[in-house]
Amino acid sequence: MNKRRMLNEKNLDAFVQDLINAGTRVISPIRRKEQGRETATYAAVQNPEEILLAGPQPALPLKDVVFPPTETLFNWKQVKSSIRIKENPEGFKKTVVIGARPCDAAAMEIVDRVMGWDYRDELWFGRRQATTVLAVACSQCDDACFCTAVGLSPTNARGADCFLTPGEGGFEVETLTSKGEELLESHHGRFTQAKDPAKTQPAELENKVRANLSLQPEKIQQWLERHFDDPLWKQLALRCHGCGACAFICPTCHCFDIVDEPEGIDCGRRRRNWDACQPALFTMHGSGHNPRKDQTARFRQRIMHKFNIYPARFGEILCTGCGRCVRVCAAGMDLVSILGEISYMAEEAGSTS
Amino acid sequence: MNLYQPHLVRIEEMIDETSDTRTLRLAFENPEIAQKFDFKAGQFGEYSVFGAGECTFCIASSPTRKGYIEASFKVVGKVTRAMRRLNVGDTMGFRGPYGNHFPLEEMKGKNIVFIAGGIGLAPVRCVIWNTLDLRDQFKDVTIIYGARSVADLVYKRELEEWAERSDVRLHSCVDPGGETPDWKGEVCFVPMLVEKVVPAPQDAFAVVCGPPIVIMLTLPLLEKMGFAPERIYTTLENRMKCGLGKCGRCNIGSVYVCKDGPVFTSAQLKMLPPEY
Repeated sequence: MNKRRMLNEKNLDAFVQDLINAGTRVISPIRRKEQGRETATYAAVQNPEEILLAGPQPALPLKDVVFPPTETLFNWKQVKSSIRIKENPEGFKKTVVIGARPCDAAAMEIVDRVMGWDYRDELWFGRRQATTVLAVACSQCDDACFCTAVGLSPTNARGADCFLTPGEGGFEVETLTSKGEELLESHHGRFTQAKDPAKTQPAELENKVRANLSLQPEKIQQWLERHFDDPLWKQLALRCHGCGACAFICPTCHCFDIVDEPEGIDCGRRRRNWDACQPALFTMHGSGHNPRKDQTARFRQRIMHKFNIYPARFGEILCTGCGRCVRVCAAGMDLVSILGEISYMAEEAGSTS
Repeated sequence: MNLYQPHLVRIEEMIDETSDTRTLRLAFENPEIAQKFDFKAGQFGEYSVFGAGECTFCIASSPTRKGYIEASFKVVGKVTRAMRRLNVGDTMGFRGPYGNHFPLEEMKGKNIVFIAGGIGLAPVRCVIWNTLDLRDQFKDVTIIYGARSVADLVYKRELEEWAERSDVRLHSCVDPGGETPDWKGEVCFVPMLVEKVVPAPQDAFAVVCGPPIVIMLTLPLLEKMGFAPERIYTTLENRMKCGLGKCGRCNIGSVYVCKDGPVFTSAQLKMLPPEY
């Protein structure tokens, strides 16, 4: 694998147009003007010119491409004295993502673990299979970014089928999987041969991210393992509203709810919806008993799940350092400084034991 | 057919246990699945009423009784209220069996003590009948059961049957204030009754289920009385949606109750944070 090609700006537009013409859904960061500010959002491309591969990180992650905020599990209808169940006939739409940020591409591969252990979630993997991801090296970061602290980087190709590195007048495209190779090969006319290996990316951006936070994840995990009852949890959780915005906007948060939606007396559908561990109702029993009885317990669960439970269970940190939870929190909960604090405590604990 | 699609089951029989608790006997509509379906004592399922949603209950009948499964439920929320409105002949959904089970094989040849409070008798009843249907493979069987009041005792006909059997010792109690003039059992809380009547821990397994307070008080008590923590079993029912280790809500520390449980030993629970 690891074949290299060139794709110039003009050919990129043509390549996208080819895909759209062939009926493929193309998802890319799209330029948006919001209150005078230029932002980007992953959305289905109508016109190749809207695509914005450089610039700020898209406000929402790619999660909904493979895991929609709401989806129909099946439809049911009362037929005589029984029920007829019909699977959602929509199937999985062939999708190409162009311009996924490394933190968003990696997230999908990390969540694969939980979706595939023992019972395989075909809805997740069906969409994963139907989706080809062309990630692009980051060109901008802010002080909420911390991908380097969790083992990724602005140029990390994890979870991508192809990786785009900006160069003069276009991109160098590196192919990483057979799925990526198949896609590029079927549009070979749009790509040219790569001449020299791409110039190594300036380390400037990476250093900037590194300056936000640096961690030793094993140490954090060890500390979490031993400090379930630490007073730090209460102190940190005091400002949390329990709204769950951090989870909804997280590329790796995957908790869901299953609910019925009647559409009449004798028919309806069962849906799967995103859910979040921060609101109290998430774990409340029918009796009113709640195993995670206060916001401290719920906030701790979120940190534990990402940095202790998931690593222990699946060997991966359930976080890609995208920083969206930091940017979105109305109460100013800041995972960068929270992890910094835990890291400091872990250091302290290490040096005194 | 995706993971979240239920099998269709038909309500064959319903029994009102108390004013708010009912047992449904369910048979699979598809004869092929009815034939194939098997489970182990302690496993659970996702039961659903179409239009209302899904709910997690243990399978309350014993795997030795073929051809049907039973669910006992108390009306507390949307789905259980909808279940309550169903009639014999109506169709429900069932996904399962999920989770681990009680170690019946290991328990063979040993004394067994069953302890339950309130509707917590449902999962224990599954093992009780499993044991009683293979009665000659176990030594002494003791059942300790209590509820808030006489009216809240579930499986009354079976309690009578167990009381009459010479190969089962049954001790029952109701909370103070819950007794009736003709109540012949004890008047106390379940853990107090356990302290009074529990047999010697030698060569014995304990199976405990009930509301969180009963579990939290009884497990340490049994240990104090000499039961090995590895031989005290309980079953937890954290809130669940998928039952498949995905939806992320039943976790206790790194444990998924739906996959690593719902059956745990007292020794295992001690390793977990107290979030159950």
